[in-house]
Amino acid sequence: MGLIQRAIEAEGIPTIGITLQKEVTRRVKPPRALSLRYPFGQPMGEAFAGRQQRAILVLALSALETLSEPGAIVEPGWVWRRHRFD
Amino acid sequence: MLRSLSNAVAVQLFRRLPWLGALWARRHRFVESTTVPWARVTKPVRESAIALVTTAGVHLDSDAPFDMNDPEGDASMRAIPSDVDPRRLTITHKYYDHSAADRDINVVLPVGRLRELVADGHVGGIAPRMYSFMGHIDGRHLATLIEETAPAVARRLRADGAEAVFLTPA
Repeated sequence: MGLIQRAIEAEGIPTIGITLQKEVTRRVKPPRALSLRYPFGQPMGEAFAGRQQRAILVLALSALETLSEPGAIVEPGWVWRRHRFD
Repeated sequence: MLRSLSNAVAVQLFRRLPWLGALWARRHRFVESTTVPWARVTKPVRESAIALVTTAGVHLDSDAPFDMNDPEGDASMRAIPSDVDPRRLTITHKYYDHSAADRDINVVLPVGRLRELVADGHVGGIAPRMYSFMGHIDGRHLATLIEETAPAVARRLRADGAEAVFLTPA
């Protein structure tokens, strides 16, 4: 996914992506990433967990606006199925 | 048969044992980079048209599925209208457990959440099309992705008027 993200950014469009594999992201180096320790296949969290999905999207879009260091990785540290999204 | 069975076992192991993914990542070779492309954000998100891109293998049920028979994957892309009825979306991707995303597509492609943020005024708008890949791309298909499909999608996003892009993996 990082390769696609890099191509979009190179076209002049700012991007941010979720990563579930921070080590891979560190090597591929997309411009901005939000790292979650979630299971493969669930980058936006659990099914029908609207508040969780919304919080992830809101945090990513807010990071997009504020990050100024190329290659930055944001880590909210939300624990899978433990963190409460109120 | 044996190969598809062992793939199914691997998918569940990788889902349930996150450290296996880290181990795989350490041993696997990636297209590594030293430089980072950077496009400056010049407009607030609340005034911007956002596009979604995913590598989770999502596509319209009327479109051709991604190729599951080629062990090196499929570097092609599917466009999805952003006003799609989510019931018309399906997932072709045998390299991850998409049971949660099958029930709620927002688990991999948060189009419902993005629509809500637009309705609430937090996001300016949604670009007219979303783009989807099947993230398992290896071997000879990597060159196709890097040289052809990914830049083509980037140009299409620009033509669509996308002002920022949010990406989700599988």
